[in-house]
Amino acid sequence: MTAALEVENLTKRYGSLTAVDDVSFSVETRETFGILGPNGAGKTTTLEMIEGLRTPNAGSIRLLGMDVLRQPQEIKERIGVQLQSTTLHAKLRVAEALRLFGSYYRQAIPADQLLQELALEEKRDAPVAQLSGGQRQRLALALALVNDPQVVFLDEPTTGLDPQARRNLWEIIAGLAERGKTVLLTTHYMEEAEELCTRVAIMDHGRVIALDTPDGLIADAGLEASVEIGGAGEVLHRALQEAGLPARLVAAGDKLVLHTSESSKVLGEVTRIAGQLGMTLDDLAVRKATLEDVFLALTGRQLRE
Amino acid sequence: MTMLARQAWMETKLFLRGLDNLFWTLAFPVFFIVLFGLLYGDTLWYEDLGVRAIDHILPGITVMALMVTGMMQTAIGFSEEREKGIYRRLALTPLRPSAILGGQILHRYFLVLLQTCILFALGIAAFGVRIAGSGLWIWLIVTLGALGFLSLGFLLAGLVRSAQAANGITMVVFFLLLFLGGVFFPREMMPGFLGGLSRVLPSTMLNDALREVMILGRGIGAVWQELLGVAGWFLVSLLGAVKLFRWE
Ligand SMILES: Nc1ncnc2c1ncn2[C@@H]1O[C@H](COP(=O)(O)OP(=O)(O)OP(=O)(O)O)[C@@H](O)[C@H]1O
Ligand SMILES: [Mg+2]
Repeated sequence: MTAALEVENLTKRYGSLTAVDDVSFSVETRETFGILGPNGAGKTTTLEMIEGLRTPNAGSIRLLGMDVLRQPQEIKERIGVQLQSTTLHAKLRVAEALRLFGSYYRQAIPADQLLQELALEEKRDAPVAQLSGGQRQRLALALALVNDPQVVFLDEPTTGLDPQARRNLWEIIAGLAERGKTVLLTTHYMEEAEELCTRVAIMDHGRVIALDTPDGLIADAGLEASVEIGGAGEVLHRALQEAGLPARLVAAGDKLVLHTSESSKVLGEVTRIAGQLGMTLDDLAVRKATLEDVFLALTGRQLRE
Repeated sequence: MTMLARQAWMETKLFLRGLDNLFWTLAFPVFFIVLFGLLYGDTLWYEDLGVRAIDHILPGITVMALMVTGMMQTAIGFSEEREKGIYRRLALTPLRPSAILGGQILHRYFLVLLQTCILFALGIAAFGVRIAGSGLWIWLIVTLGALGFLSLGFLLAGLVRSAQAANGITMVVFFLLLFLGGVFFPREMMPGFLGGLSRVLPSTMLNDALREVMILGRGIGAVWQELLGVAGWFLVSLLGAVKLFRWE
């Protein structure tokens, strides 16, 4: 496999704020690579520098073997981008927009085919201003695919969609990888990253704080399962801290979370300690660790507040 | 079709879908011609020359139409689309910025020519205006005026941060150029200080040039000073517009 993208020491500053801080990673051809992080982590800034839309303060970007700053025109022919929010001329119609954007490229997929693939046939003559949020997202994705790009950039492709629409979009994105495309996406949703991505970079405050396959990230953090106790008070918190359990204890809001690879042992101890304190455990759950837990373990914060 | 022509055609198509656009470019100037024609009709404004109000107003309204289409709609439309992020999305495609801008300029230029023809036809057919000068000179003056106001429009768009600010500043500039430029009333009616200011405005110089050619049938030689002035405005605005230009 060859690298489709190589990013080295990428940095972007806005005044005194360093939005992207010395970020390096590479993405292999045909990979679906996810950038995961909370609001303001620097995901969009990173993506838009790679797309050539923003100029980095430092660092280098090689995309498809080309320097992004030197050969922007050739790169534009070969990439497709869905921005975090795409605005088109309100009076433009759906099929018309696809044909128009197609005309900007050397090669273009016929509008009809894209309309069908993205289930927009019914809306082909509708002005873009009249589309629903989900339809607008699909049109933005269709526009990103109009030149049959080798690399596709999707900035929060499913944000704001209902679960059903999200599933539909996941299928389409998974289909891109099957057709040999390299995909870079950003998301706030752990399930999305776990479902779609071959590898995930976790970003926080402009830095990549972890990068691996979803399973690898979970294993590396020493998290196989988490025991969650809802509505636990200060007393129980202190008692668990002092008990020396084989777990990482994190308080998240009014919840206590114990990340562990020995869930049955921890569960037994928790029950015993609560019993000694004369407390009931009305909101207790054990579940497999997710990327959400990885983020919590790495930063001590929830991904989404 | 070349990229430029296709962009211009797309701009035109989108433009025609906006009712407000049609109001400003067509109904608005036509309304003034009809209003003045009916109110003052044959009143002689310059008796010695036999020039009626409508003869005087037609070139003025033509310049006003040029300002609306060339300057006002460009400045407001461009800042709005810039603010919405429309050009950001286009920047991701191989479409060259020159094609985007060229398409807009071409589209507006044809609109200006169309407007001029419609206003002239109305003046001639409904109010018996007689155009004394050469069509070639008129076309030249209108073209120079269109270029000047288009540049001014892009300059105004470059000067402001938001679409709202563009709206404000454009309205101020428009009414200034409209009333001090002698579009409706003879400039001779203005008090001394305003008269001086008026003399250097592009709208004034265009009005004067157009009137001399249209009404008095003069050649380009008689209005070269005015045209030089407009060309000066055009070049300065163009330089400023290029310097301050932003896609987002
Ligand atoms: N044009 C800009 N000017 C100044 N600051 C900016 C600009 N764009 C982004 N920032 C700041 O840079 C930081 C990173 O922003 P960015 O949009 O990359 O985050 P993000 O990870 O995409 O967040 P979100 O999940 O909310 O989309 C934020 O603190 C943001 O306020
Ligand atoms: Mg973002």
